[in-house]
Amino acid sequence: MATGHPYLPASARVLRVNELIPDTKLFELRFQDPALAEAFIFRPGQFVELSVLGVGEAPFSLPSSPTRRGTFELCIRRAGVLTSFLFDHISQGDAVGIRGPLGNGFPIDLFEGRDVLLVAGGLGMVPLRGLLQYLLDRRDHFRRIELVYGTRSPDRILFRDELEHLAEHGDAAIHLAVEDTCGLPFKGRRGVVTELLDDITIDPGSTFAVACGPPVFYKFLLTKLVDLGLGKDRIYLSLERRMECGIGKCGHCAVGYTFTCLHGPVFSYWDAINLPELIYE
Amino acid sequence: MQTLRLDAARLPDFIARLMAWGAVWAPVETAAGTFTLQIIEDVFEARPDVLRTVVPFKKLLLPPSFAMLKGGFGDVAGVDPGSGDDDHELCIFYGAHACDVHALKILDLLYLSNHVDPYYAAKRDKLVVVAFGCWPDEKCFCDSLGTSTADDGFDIALTPLDGRLLATVATSRGDDIVRASADLFAAATPDDILAYLTRLSERRAAFQLQLDVTDLPYVLELKKHDPVWDELARKCVCCGSCSIVCPTCSCFNVADWIEEDGTASRMRTWDSCLYRDYALVAGGHNFRADRGDRVRNRYYHKQEAFVREFGMPSCVGCGRCIENCPTGIHVVEVFQHVRGEL
Repeated sequence: MATGHPYLPASARVLRVNELIPDTKLFELRFQDPALAEAFIFRPGQFVELSVLGVGEAPFSLPSSPTRRGTFELCIRRAGVLTSFLFDHISQGDAVGIRGPLGNGFPIDLFEGRDVLLVAGGLGMVPLRGLLQYLLDRRDHFRRIELVYGTRSPDRILFRDELEHLAEHGDAAIHLAVEDTCGLPFKGRRGVVTELLDDITIDPGSTFAVACGPPVFYKFLLTKLVDLGLGKDRIYLSLERRMECGIGKCGHCAVGYTFTCLHGPVFSYWDAINLPELIYE
Repeated sequence: MQTLRLDAARLPDFIARLMAWGAVWAPVETAAGTFTLQIIEDVFEARPDVLRTVVPFKKLLLPPSFAMLKGGFGDVAGVDPGSGDDDHELCIFYGAHACDVHALKILDLLYLSNHVDPYYAAKRDKLVVVAFGCWPDEKCFCDSLGTSTADDGFDIALTPLDGRLLATVATSRGDDIVRASADLFAAATPDDILAYLTRLSERRAAFQLQLDVTDLPYVLELKKHDPVWDELARKCVCCGSCSIVCPTCSCFNVADWIEEDGTASRMRTWDSCLYRDYALVAGGHNFRADRGDRVRNRYYHKQEAFVREFGMPSCVGCGRCIENCPTGIHVVEVFQHVRGEL
């Protein structure tokens, strides 16, 4: 941990704030201690706890990649007391408290030399964007990289410009779906993520899938991925839980004795099946 | 390990000398039949023989509510204010029973491994455990869980025998304490040891309550979706009393607090998995909105998940949850019900 005290945050300054969609902003941050800023290495899929004393602390996924050193990003939706404070009172130049990196992250070593299929629903794009950046920055280590991403409507797509640019010029195949176009311009598919999966062919023997989305998202998706021939131990999920301490003490994120913050938030589908209620039924 | 003998008449002298080492916490009768673990001012207040204080010793290591960090509102971090305790003064828990000693080991497992908790570690370092031999009542079922005796995990253990006590010294610090009162102790005689063994077998026979733990983790796995949990949920009001009085329940909530003078604290306060908001996340999704899910979760955590992880349950059979449940839920009966025996 950055400060040597597991509950004591280190100071990070906000370099830039960019509104992605009306209720969701991307904050670029840098630890004030230059040594810490350079030493901050994490694994895609890990998270940090962000806090402001007197307001509160909450966990946030890292949407950036450790291959891009010195700064990191947090993609934050206005949802509660702390996030509202960040939206209303924190801007470029302000400092916030950061603890981390926390959690296990994606098993990126297993993906070497394989096809990687990323499946995101809504805000679930956040940790997958960090993984996507990582895969692209080390492009020659992986075979096919494919992203399937669904949102409610075109104006809910996170990192849209970036993804559309990638779709046209990049090293990854990008497939977008919206449930309702709401009359807005949109080139992708109208429907849900599972339908997008019908459009693509995968090589089940060589593919690892990584999925992140709201609880309901997993219900049909996981069955679909298994139907496509993927082994349950080759499907990884980044799961959400209430987390407070982030280090396996406070108990809130425990499912059985598995702490989502410590042993997760990334679990294989097989592990998840064996932990009652890890996936919302 | 060293075994000595202490005359019963000299026990008050020993406790008085313990008080010179630090604050002595012991069960004290604070209302008729109600015992509280508190700092004794008088040797004769202490009731180490009493089976249960309402709240167990965990409060000595994990205070019910305290500031983890303090500073000004809007500060990046604030500072760890420390406990405010005198760093040199020991905290002596007098009257620990075998179940408490095992519960302490479980808390150590949770708080001193895999990210050491600095608040717990600081207090744990100063804790001296002086155990006292107990005698089971109708709510004790530690014998079923292998927690009715302890070979280690205490500094000194006192076992009352007729007219004297057998003193077992298990740590260097315990040895320091005993040596400083060497005039009170004598070598244990073969007769003392015989009396100890006789007490041990009579105590074993005195247990009235048993929890059948045979294959319990798998039995629970099989009964995951059984209606028994919903039936139980109709009786449980999710007040959280069982968590609060449980010596191994140690979940906490973290929330920031602002004082009128503008200072801010990150407070850590006891929580219970039975409370409705326990698994509620931003955006409004509650992973355990149903009372049945919360009730089931508590029993699974103790008797299924913990066993799978550590090879033992995180219930030590102290009987506090039985004694304090306002609707009369009895943990042993819960598992009998799960097994279809009730």
